[in-house]
Amino acid sequence: MKIRDITIRAGRSLKQAKARTLLTSLAIGVGAFTITLSLAAGAGGRAYTNQIVSANTDAKELSVTKAQSTSQQGPQKYSGTTATSISNALGFAELLTQSDINRIQKVANVVSVSPNYNPQIKYITRAGSDKYVASISTFSPSVTLKYAAGSTSGDLADNEIILTEDYVQALGFKSDNDAIGKTVQIVADKLSASVYAPESQTFTYVVKAISSKSGLAFRAQSSLLISNSSAKILYSYINKDTRSYGNFILAAVNVTSADKAQSVKDTLKGMGYTAQTAADILGAVNTFINVLQGILLGFGVLAILTSVFGIINTQYISVLERTQQIGLMKALGMRRKDVGRLFKLEAAWIGFLGGAIGSGLAVLVGTIANPFISKALDIGDISLLIFNPLSVTAVIIGLVVVAVASGILPARKASKLDPIKALRTE
Amino acid sequence: MIEVRHITKTYGNKDNAFKVLDDVDFTIPNGTSVAILGKSGSGKSTLMHVMSGLDKPETGEIIIDGENILDLKEKDIDKFHAHTMSFIFQSFFVQANESCYDNVSLPLEITGVPPSKRRSKIEAALSAVELLDKKKAYARELSGGEKQRLAVARAIVSNPKILFADEPTGNLDSVTGGVVEDLLFDYNKKNNVTLIIVTHDPDLAKRCAIQIHIKDGRIESIKGMQ
Repeated sequence: MKIRDITIRAGRSLKQAKARTLLTSLAIGVGAFTITLSLAAGAGGRAYTNQIVSANTDAKELSVTKAQSTSQQGPQKYSGTTATSISNALGFAELLTQSDINRIQKVANVVSVSPNYNPQIKYITRAGSDKYVASISTFSPSVTLKYAAGSTSGDLADNEIILTEDYVQALGFKSDNDAIGKTVQIVADKLSASVYAPESQTFTYVVKAISSKSGLAFRAQSSLLISNSSAKILYSYINKDTRSYGNFILAAVNVTSADKAQSVKDTLKGMGYTAQTAADILGAVNTFINVLQGILLGFGVLAILTSVFGIINTQYISVLERTQQIGLMKALGMRRKDVGRLFKLEAAWIGFLGGAIGSGLAVLVGTIANPFISKALDIGDISLLIFNPLSVTAVIIGLVVVAVASGILPARKASKLDPIKALRTE
Repeated sequence: MIEVRHITKTYGNKDNAFKVLDDVDFTIPNGTSVAILGKSGSGKSTLMHVMSGLDKPETGEIIIDGENILDLKEKDIDKFHAHTMSFIFQSFFVQANESCYDNVSLPLEITGVPPSKRRSKIEAALSAVELLDKKKAYARELSGGEKQRLAVARAIVSNPKILFADEPTGNLDSVTGGVVEDLLFDYNKKNNVTLIIVTHDPDLAKRCAIQIHIKDGRIESIKGMQ
């Protein structure tokens, strides 16, 4: 008997028991729904973090700190180099000094080392506007930013600044576009100056671009961005002649190419530094997502496991109900193998139906829910549920396989049926 | 030619053995009609099952056209059932939820006839039993006589050489039963097909060329054999 004919007969017998078929399929559908959603959430989550990381980090950049002595407990002995560490409630943090930076600079494949200057300014203002506190970060040309107005090509010039939309409003610009090309003033205090004779200086910047609020960028949302060298100028003015001058928690190390990042990281580790690549950051976030996805997948698998017993039960009942039909088929010369196939294919139909209903519903619900989720989490136009046609297909195929496997026992019962006993009427 | 050689079939275990068939031995020429008569429990149905290869006896041979079908592998027995013989049962065993067309299609599907070639065969079989106008009707909508005619169509669609009928008119009134009988004997004569009818109805048995009486698993008499 040809597979095509068996498939049609299998489909026909299922159609005759519509309610039973549908209910058994729905049990699988619950599993398919959960698994499809969890795969979509995993894919969406990974894509989201991928975008976050690429929007905020550069694959060619490592962030380097001094390896922290975590094994040490209790008070630490004074070693004469305490100036290079800062203490807080959690313990001591070893800092990078200029000599560290010079050492890192000499490592093979390192292009540049830029300490994280992070200048603590007093306020930002412009003519006829109030004064506002602000945090300043360093602009990196390889990090993706979204602009509401203006644009950048390559690095910023030393007198250029990127504002956020919030500051455009606060500083009294009419619109984002209105701010481009206008100047703003940053005022910074010299920390080493005497309390009785405070010194401060005004630095003037031209607004180059306005970064828009995005679900991706950490920095763009709050920090104003200036070039690395202007950050250094600000930092030097503020911190010169203080104890912490020339000591940094963090330095950004640029390497020649992204694939060299790992080897530089290993070298730095040997030298007593801790380096994190973009891949490390992504990996850490993705591990979290994978664990969450795994839990959700587990529930889906559990639902499918339950439905397996449903299929076995349904198919056993079907074999009992159709004893005479099976007997007749065998008397007419249908092969044992084909009788088994008929019942396995019926199970396959149930699996396909359940998979299609569950996955279809998941795609439908997910697609409808996506904008609402994005709105609720305030992540802009990013979709957190990404349905990959390939993985949806894989879920359906997988369920067909599971269904066929659960149909094996009932199918064997059917194929072993003795036609004489099955056709006995008296 | 069907040669039944010294068939013995026992039911039950050693201590409580019951011989359903006891050294049954006869020969049927091709193209004839045979009635196997006997009371219920005489072993006539078992004899039919053994002759058709559905059941296996302890001893003996069933030689059809020179081949002992009891020696065949399961696969070849299936092929034999699909191509050489057909069955008609007292309780019809038509599939109520399938159309007449699909009921008749089953034997052709089993033998692997492609869909394009099935149509003409199915329609020929249905018109032979005068059910062509009901080919799309579900079998459950048919009357008892029509159901058995449908079963006849299903039995003849694959052009078998041997037709087994187990009490074919047992569930029918005399008029509809007569129609089915006519169909069977017409087919037997026109196509030179061996017709083997198991029955306890003497009137039906009289229409057959050969009557084999079975009593307590043994042949009581064979009438009509040349």
